Amino acid sequence: MIKTEIYEQALFETIKRGATEISPDVKDAFIKAIEREENPDAQKGLKATLESMEMSKVRENPLCVDTGWPIFYFKVGNQCELEGGFVELENAARRAVARATELGYLRATMKHPLTGYDPGNNIGMNIPDFTYQFVDGDFIEMSYAAKGGGSECFGGTRHRIVAFADGIKGIEKFVLDSFVASARAGAVCPPSVLGIGIGGTANVAANLAKEAACLRTVGSKHPDPMFAKIEEDLYEAINSLGIGILGAGGSTSVLAVNVEYAYTHIAGIACATSTNCMVARRASARIDADGTLRKMTSPNWFGDR
Amino acid sequence: MAEYHLTSPLTNEDVSKLKLGDTVYISGECFTCRSRLQKYIFDEKNVLPFDTKDRNILIHNGPIVVKEDGKWRLVSFMPTSSIRFEKWGAKSVDEWNLKMIVGKTTMGEKTAKMMKKKKCVHVSPRSVSPNLWIDSIEVQDVYLYDELGRIEAAWFFKLNDLGPFIVDIDAEGNNYFDRLDKDIADRKDAALKKLGIDETFEFTKLY
Repeated sequence: MIKTEIYEQALFETIKRGATEISPDVKDAFIKAIEREENPDAQKGLKATLESMEMSKVRENPLCVDTGWPIFYFKVGNQCELEGGFVELENAARRAVARATELGYLRATMKHPLTGYDPGNNIGMNIPDFTYQFVDGDFIEMSYAAKGGGSECFGGTRHRIVAFADGIKGIEKFVLDSFVASARAGAVCPPSVLGIGIGGTANVAANLAKEAACLRTVGSKHPDPMFAKIEEDLYEAINSLGIGILGAGGSTSVLAVNVEYAYTHIAGIACATSTNCMVARRASARIDADGTLRKMTSPNWFGDR
Repeated sequence: MAEYHLTSPLTNEDVSKLKLGDTVYISGECFTCRSRLQKYIFDEKNVLPFDTKDRNILIHNGPIVVKEDGKWRLVSFMPTSSIRFEKWGAKSVDEWNLKMIVGKTTMGEKTAKMMKKKKCVHVSPRSVSPNLWIDSIEVQDVYLYDELGRIEAAWFFKLNDLGPFIVDIDAEGNNYFDRLDKDIADRKDAALKKLGIDETFEFTKLY
């Protein structure tokens, strides 16, 4: 049985790492983008962003002032036993978020939706958010994603039902139209990690899009060539638009395009987009049944991608 | 494109010479504002408890500031999206006599119109680099901390060559991003064609 103090400390360290350390895959994507960037001002912007992100690790301060919505993903072994059970896991996550806020790793960003009341600790109704995936085994893997207000509030999350008559062309046009509108003047903090959900009900497509944006390793490809082609075609298409870092012009508008899918109804194809901002904050860790904790460089949410 | 190093309080002459796409660095006194402050003043009819005359730069921002040994320490800073304050943009420029607004996502037509009338500009960051900025910012004071909370309070900053920012609304009300939009739209048509989607494509209307 995994002790409460072990998983609570792991949750806290994962939040802190997600908030203050750039993921290795995002760093690689930045280095490649800097090499490739054709606009000198945009190149300076990319360099300054990477330099600041590297400094955050040393200074132990947030990668961006907006530390976002606190979102947790748990991949749980079917035989995993937690002291206090899953109710206590969620309580521990809330305590860890409050502690990280108190220590300045997170900004007190979550508010009551009507009154604007600020609890000061990022804890409130249905926040943090929890998603679970069950697999065989006795371990637990946790990922913390900080979904920024820019990428979430300014049109980065969109949805449309595309008719089978319109197929892949309809999907790709919807994505391109959506991204151009949402990236105007840097609203969603491009270069983005663009997640696309295809199929399922609207909420399934939206969840897949968010997971594709937040939990796929940047630079990975979908194993199905049909979906990998959509990823590649849209990556090339969007990076040809000249939107650039913070929308001010440049040749890097997306760091990655990640597609995930579900089967859909014969009546139509639910499509959703979710953009993650350039900082693309997340961190993951795994605890085995004997309490051994190890950091993970990739969330492993979609297997090896 | 020219580069300018300006010091607050800014004059009409300071901002009138700025052209779209120019780079600016700013020094001197400014204040922070998020929508809660504008709502508190303009909708809830409270009086702004400080003078903006010698502090005529507004930064749209909710910083992370902590108190250590009785002193404020800035942990993180990044200009936030200005467009969400469009409702009060023109009023803020007019009544607070602003000469510069710093923020992301530019602002709308109503604010740009008032900027032209009052000679004010909007400038945007080109990076997300809090650590390259916080050493150029001294936290001087805070107003409305109890009323609006730590993030949405009006923080007084003294800046030391903070930047670079690009001019995206000039003192004639022109917008850098409006111009960029046209280029992006043309490139989008070309990108769609390459994907096999030409101008005859229409979505099948399902609802």
